[in-house]
Amino acid sequence: MSEPPSPALELQGLSKRYGNFTALQSVDLSIRPGEIFALLGPNGAGKTTLIGSVCGLVRKTAGTIRVFGRDLDADPVGPRYELGLVPQEINFDPFFTVAESLRIQQGYYGRPRDDARVDEVLTALNLQGKKDSLTRALSGGMKRRLLIAKALVHKPRLVFLDEPTAGVDVELRRDLWTYVRKLASEGTTIVLTTHYLEEAEELADRVGIINEGRLLMVEDKAALLRRFGEKRLVVTFATPLPALPEAGQRFAARLSDDGRTLTYVERDGCAPAGDLLRALYAAGLPIADVETRRSRLEDVLIEVLRGRPSASAA
Amino acid sequence: MNVLGMQTLFVKEVRRFMRVPGQTVLSPLISTTLYFIVFGYSISGRVHEVEGQPYLHFIVPGLVFLGIANNAFLNSSSSLFITKIQGTVVDLLVAPLGPGELMAGFIGGAMVRGLVVGGLTWAVAALFSGFSLEHALVTAYFLFISSYVFSVLGMLAAIWAEKFEQINFFPTFVMLPLTFLGGVFYSVRELPSPWNTISLFNPMVYMVEGLRYGMLGSSIFSPVVGGAILAVVAAVATGVVYVVLRSGYRMKA
Repeated sequence: MSEPPSPALELQGLSKRYGNFTALQSVDLSIRPGEIFALLGPNGAGKTTLIGSVCGLVRKTAGTIRVFGRDLDADPVGPRYELGLVPQEINFDPFFTVAESLRIQQGYYGRPRDDARVDEVLTALNLQGKKDSLTRALSGGMKRRLLIAKALVHKPRLVFLDEPTAGVDVELRRDLWTYVRKLASEGTTIVLTTHYLEEAEELADRVGIINEGRLLMVEDKAALLRRFGEKRLVVTFATPLPALPEAGQRFAARLSDDGRTLTYVERDGCAPAGDLLRALYAAGLPIADVETRRSRLEDVLIEVLRGRPSASAA
Repeated sequence: MNVLGMQTLFVKEVRRFMRVPGQTVLSPLISTTLYFIVFGYSISGRVHEVEGQPYLHFIVPGLVFLGIANNAFLNSSSSLFITKIQGTVVDLLVAPLGPGELMAGFIGGAMVRGLVVGGLTWAVAALFSGFSLEHALVTAYFLFISSYVFSVLGMLAAIWAEKFEQINFFPTFVMLPLTFLGGVFYSVRELPSPWNTISLFNPMVYMVEGLRYGMLGSSIFSPVVGGAILAVVAAVATGVVYVVLRSGYRMKA
């Protein structure tokens, strides 16, 4: 039987303290090769510190970091050939053009000049027209695209996207999502932090939630949404009902708005909202409107950060 | 070793200062030329010879040294410091560039700028006082070691500095006094005691005197002793920067 592949990234007991402040507290995490992993948490939770520890920007206080099985303590430089980072803060070297910046990046990673790859990345990020422009002449959104291009031009196997779409327009965000999915389908491992939870929901295979330096949970995104998520069914009646109908009582629904609105919250393990809806129709009630809303990752994140009891089951 | 990474950083550093030649090459060339004209002509009217050399000839090695020292230091210090301020240091820290590769790139680029400005200063000086090269290899060694030491010190200053005020600390409070006490415009042997003895602890004296030996054929110190002292200074400075870079001090959070 062949050995399972090494995790793309493995953290054991990773801690970082700044004086008395603990930025990361004994984080254990394993990222599978080829997955898109979203690291979520409020500002100051430790997301950027975690990424910085792996990428050589932060000196960890304790713990082990392995990139594709290679310990960064034993070899701090070698594993970095595999890494790409889109940092949160925009940076650019004003002396060089867009294409030059990418060629320099290729060189840093020991790759010979490859103009075809530069063109490919520029096209993917819609920067082809700015190839020969000086970086200082780019707009804010374009500088962000350049950061992404720089992180990818050397074909890294593990890419960190730290708030990659902060301040960019909707179109680029969609383009980037498509490109990230393409990269993942080609085997690139992606670790993403984002404030746009829609982005994580759209892209991630697994989600980790971090707060105050502690990794609170790591779970498959779909399972997480199932476990913490809820579906809300809101039925509006054409005429007010005098009391909660029998079907509503069976499903523990709630009648409000002087008998005009019935609300049912379906959680994991509850009867499906569709069954209640069928029962309401069967009872011949004057239904005027039906609205359903499935909870999103944002709701789950808030639940977990508020410390909902079952949230600690990481 | 990431040879291509190192080479890329070196070429980038050279291209960076060549993008603004007026600021990085022409401006220092003008200031050292002004030194030559003002000090050379104003003093040579009264002081005809120093250590057996016509004064205009005597100051050429020191002015070449000034061009090298200032520009080698400025290049590595400003370039690395600016990456910290602009945030592009992230590119260097994430990339597979260890302390050795970073040093080779930054020091190499800074040495080129120092040597270009030093060489042009020498060429301009030759127009005024004639060209003199007595010991080519000795001259080459002292040109090389001077540019190397100041490039390394520039890196150290950039690593240490966190504010613009701090990056100016070294040139203003360390380099300028040592340069003017380094025997560029006079022979340190002529200084009154104890300054002539104190001068022996200033490495710049050995750089200037080494170049003086190489270019003019005579100096107050043996170039072998001066060369050896500077080799030790270079080795210690290299070791310090290597260790500091490897530790991540003021480069990583």
